[in-house]
Amino acid sequence: MMNDISIIYNTPHSMPLGILIAQYFYLTGLSAGSFVVSVIAILGGKEEYKPLGKIGAVLAPVCLVMAPLNLIADMWQPARFWHLFFYFNPQSPITYGSLLLTSYPISATIYAYFVYTNNQKMAKLFAIIGIPLAISVHGYTGFILALGKGRVLWNTALMPTLFLVSAMVSGIALMIIIASIRNKYMSKGWTDEEKEKDKGLIFGLGKFMAGTIVADMFLLLNDVLILFTSTQDAYHAADMLLFGKFAPKFIGVEIVLGAFIPLIILMLPKTNKKLWAVNLASLLVMIGIFAMRFSVVVGGQSLPLH
Amino acid sequence: MAKKRYAMLIDLRRCMGCHSCSVACKAENDVPLSKFRSWVKVIEKGKYPHMKRSFLPVLCNNCEKPICNQNCPVRATYVRDDGIVMVNQHRCIGCMYCMASCPYDVRYINPLKNIVQKCFFCHHRVDAGLVPACVETCPGRARIFGDINDPSSEISRVMATNAVTVLKYDLGTDPRVFYIEGDQDAMNPMKGVDVNKLEFRVGE
Repeated sequence: MMNDISIIYNTPHSMPLGILIAQYFYLTGLSAGSFVVSVIAILGGKEEYKPLGKIGAVLAPVCLVMAPLNLIADMWQPARFWHLFFYFNPQSPITYGSLLLTSYPISATIYAYFVYTNNQKMAKLFAIIGIPLAISVHGYTGFILALGKGRVLWNTALMPTLFLVSAMVSGIALMIIIASIRNKYMSKGWTDEEKEKDKGLIFGLGKFMAGTIVADMFLLLNDVLILFTSTQDAYHAADMLLFGKFAPKFIGVEIVLGAFIPLIILMLPKTNKKLWAVNLASLLVMIGIFAMRFSVVVGGQSLPLH
Repeated sequence: MAKKRYAMLIDLRRCMGCHSCSVACKAENDVPLSKFRSWVKVIEKGKYPHMKRSFLPVLCNNCEKPICNQNCPVRATYVRDDGIVMVNQHRCIGCMYCMASCPYDVRYINPLKNIVQKCFFCHHRVDAGLVPACVETCPGRARIFGDINDPSSEISRVMATNAVTVLKYDLGTDPRVFYIEGDQDAMNPMKGVDVNKLEFRVGE
């Protein structure tokens, strides 16, 4: 019966949010993730974690300065951006976003300043101020999608949590890559012992990343499983992700390339103590998380609504 | 006197799929090329000789609980006292979040004005005491426009005596465009669509 229905005429459905928005989510995720790791390193207080704290303190504001540029470029009236502050609607998640996107980079920059000037007390203060800001600056992007009522792939209570966990994954991956570059090219004058200690930190981050990947995969499993048993539209969305147009991106890039292969690399004792292998895993994870942002934003909009 | 609440009733027994409403809307509202505020979806079901075409005229539902109004960050989308959901064209920043959250996909970007637009039940005509252009032009008199808070209006009388449905009732948006004898296959966006062959278009 279903095959006997054919659509003779309909208007094309539009896809308002595109790659720029996916990229924006990706960059805020990187920023929030690296900020959280930096704060853990600083608040931990141990002297040997300091380098990680410094790397994260720089990455967080840098990624976050780039992120809103995507939003401005995506707007059709970029010159009216100030409307966001003057006419704000307290019900809209974008309103909170515009406030967070201005306050968080300022606090992150002050934090970075105190980390680099070795002012422990002030650095800790701004770390504590920054943590809720970092979590909400990325958590609210999850709400943007979750409150998009019409799109069945977005409208789930899991979305903010899923976004936060995947932000941690990608943030740690970026930090591993930057820390390895530092270990390789900026280690002039270090003794061998210091170098090994630094490598030990990177491998520690690798283990942390493996843990967050497992959490991320668990949330994704929940999401897809419930899509399959929910409404008919949800079933179609899951069908599209697993077997349809988005299967290569979702299964291939996001899950196999971006989660399972890195997880194996980080689990095997042979490879999880090799710098190149951990870096390869981080690179794959970063690609995988971008694929996740893309398949959520664009995939969520590819099902027709009329 | 109770507050006015404008609504539209589309009697699909009378619709013949002539697309006059789409044309009238385009002419009345200056809708840009390739965009529509109102259109008629046509589906065909069954196999010859047992087959039929079903029509579904679609327009903005001007919902009672519009998610676009809740999500608009600058309050460019607002609801008039008579229930018509409007877009303030001087305030819209074109972030397209309303388009992404609308469950009916009735909003579009006007590429000449760089803002979001949609069907406003021809509010300029309604304010002048006329009915919307699509209602005025419909040759089958399939569309009825009026105040559903007034029990003696034509729309209230016809709605009270016929079985009516709305699009996507379960989403709780309370649409204010009603259909008589709406076909569930035409009202379901996924019917007749192959998930593996979706059009892939990024960006508006």
